[in-house]
Amino acid sequence: MDKGYIENGFIVDLSNARKTSEIIYELSRILDIPEAQNKQVCLKLGSVDLSQTELTSIKALVESMDSEIEFISTRSTETAEAAKALEIEISELENIVEAPDFEMETSVTPEVETALDKIFGDTDFDKDEDEPQQEVKEMEESFHFIDDEDEEDEETIAMKAEAEKLPTLYIKKTIRSGQSITSDGNLIIVGDVNPGAEVIAKGDITVWGILGGIAHAGSEGNSQARIRALKMNAIQLRIADIFARRPDGVNTPFVQKTNEFIPEEAKIFKKNIIINKLLEN
Amino acid sequence: MSGRVIVITSGKGGVGKTTTNANIGTALAKAGNKVVMIDTDLGLRNLDLLLGLENRIVYTIVDVVEERCKLKQALVKDKKNPNLCLLAAAQTRDKTAVTQEQLKDICDQLKKDYDFILVDCPAGIEQGFQNAVAGATEAIVVTTPEMSAVRDADRIIGLLEAKEEIESYKLLLNRVRPNLIKSNDMMSVEDVVEILSADLIGIIPEDTGIITSTNKGEPIVNDEKSLAGRAYMNVARRIMGEDVPFMNLEEETSVVAKVKKFFKGLMGKEK
Repeated sequence: MDKGYIENGFIVDLSNARKTSEIIYELSRILDIPEAQNKQVCLKLGSVDLSQTELTSIKALVESMDSEIEFISTRSTETAEAAKALEIEISELENIVEAPDFEMETSVTPEVETALDKIFGDTDFDKDEDEPQQEVKEMEESFHFIDDEDEEDEETIAMKAEAEKLPTLYIKKTIRSGQSITSDGNLIIVGDVNPGAEVIAKGDITVWGILGGIAHAGSEGNSQARIRALKMNAIQLRIADIFARRPDGVNTPFVQKTNEFIPEEAKIFKKNIIINKLLEN
Repeated sequence: MSGRVIVITSGKGGVGKTTTNANIGTALAKAGNKVVMIDTDLGLRNLDLLLGLENRIVYTIVDVVEERCKLKQALVKDKKNPNLCLLAAAQTRDKTAVTQEQLKDICDQLKKDYDFILVDCPAGIEQGFQNAVAGATEAIVVTTPEMSAVRDADRIIGLLEAKEEIESYKLLLNRVRPNLIKSNDMMSVEDVVEILSADLIGIIPEDTGIITSTNKGEPIVNDEKSLAGRAYMNVARRIMGEDVPFMNLEEETSVVAKVKKFFKGLMGKEK
């Protein structure tokens, strides 16, 4: 029972789904992966109301892949009742996943909101109602290794520690345009993230491949979160409440795949997102 | 101020709706109008790419509809032209994320501040089309001189005529190749106009420059030398109410033709 994983099984987070069809679509996609077969599956169903018939078909779908529903977690009473009738165990996922500090989580949200107000306040949106408002700074590329340790106050250390405690979602496939992966903790993707796709994580994001879409690390305000990729070609990088876009001159829709990538890491440095090449030294 | 809401549609995919939208929008803005373009192709957005604005999108139309941001916050300003902005579609959602009423509401709000609202319609006649048309009072139907595209355009015109809100629609003939028309291998402009019996607002010649401009994220109207760019500029002027004659593509297309003509002239003199 390690971080984010259960014995011979895995957790499928479908809490972002709004409709039954979305749940079934996502689930069938995940279960299609050979590694996902013959496992114990825990479903995080969020607040979608599922009738008994719908839950039966989800159960059948899971079983058709030789897997089994270990338990589900849900916020909907209707789903809970349906599960009871089908003798599916209901459990709070939080009890299984180790460590994440959930008190922390709730206290972060209001801070993020004020922070967002701040960046939008900076662009004097309220003063000038006529002007369209989306302004995103270009990302800076740095080729030297900048010293990590600028101001290490207690908060920074706590944020760094937080990312390490979070569970990690591990995905081994290419994330294509239009797909969105959200993780409650850290996120590791072995494969490319294509332009038009987005990956969002509360903690760090690591892409073992080309990052071409949008990545948002520290989505709930952790400004110490990092984004790493073998090749950083992102349309936009977001860490906590700081946004950066790809410079306009750099128009590389396709990256040549070679074996000579230098891994890169993006982080916040003095309220800007900078990218460091991770050179050997 | 009450702006004009124009939907750009075609039925068939790949005939150049989005290219037309990007170019007419840019041309109208260059002429000094305040223009906003709305991409309603949720899940398969492209307009941002053609304008080179992909990296600037933070909020999309779905964020506006779901009240995560204000409408003005979601407008992405063009790199070059401050009169031009884009309301991008969401890439990770599908057509059901926005309803007709919501789109109409957005158009009504934008009308107050902008001269032109150009709505980029997805291919097909399903909800995406219905959404895009909801707020519009005018339409431009894009077609190419091919039977399949003309057939689909006919279907679209039928649907537009059935909508009370659409006061007028115009036809834009895209990817015309005068050489093929000349050799009778392509339907001529007259043929298409006759089949569809609709008013023509522009004829755009096939131009390889479109491919480069799409990849660069730079609409071709910015290139004043390009024939397609000039044709789009003319369309914009016609939309603004000017009476601009159609270009004679046969004469203007190829440099080779001009050279041949020149030599013919010389030969004539010698004889």
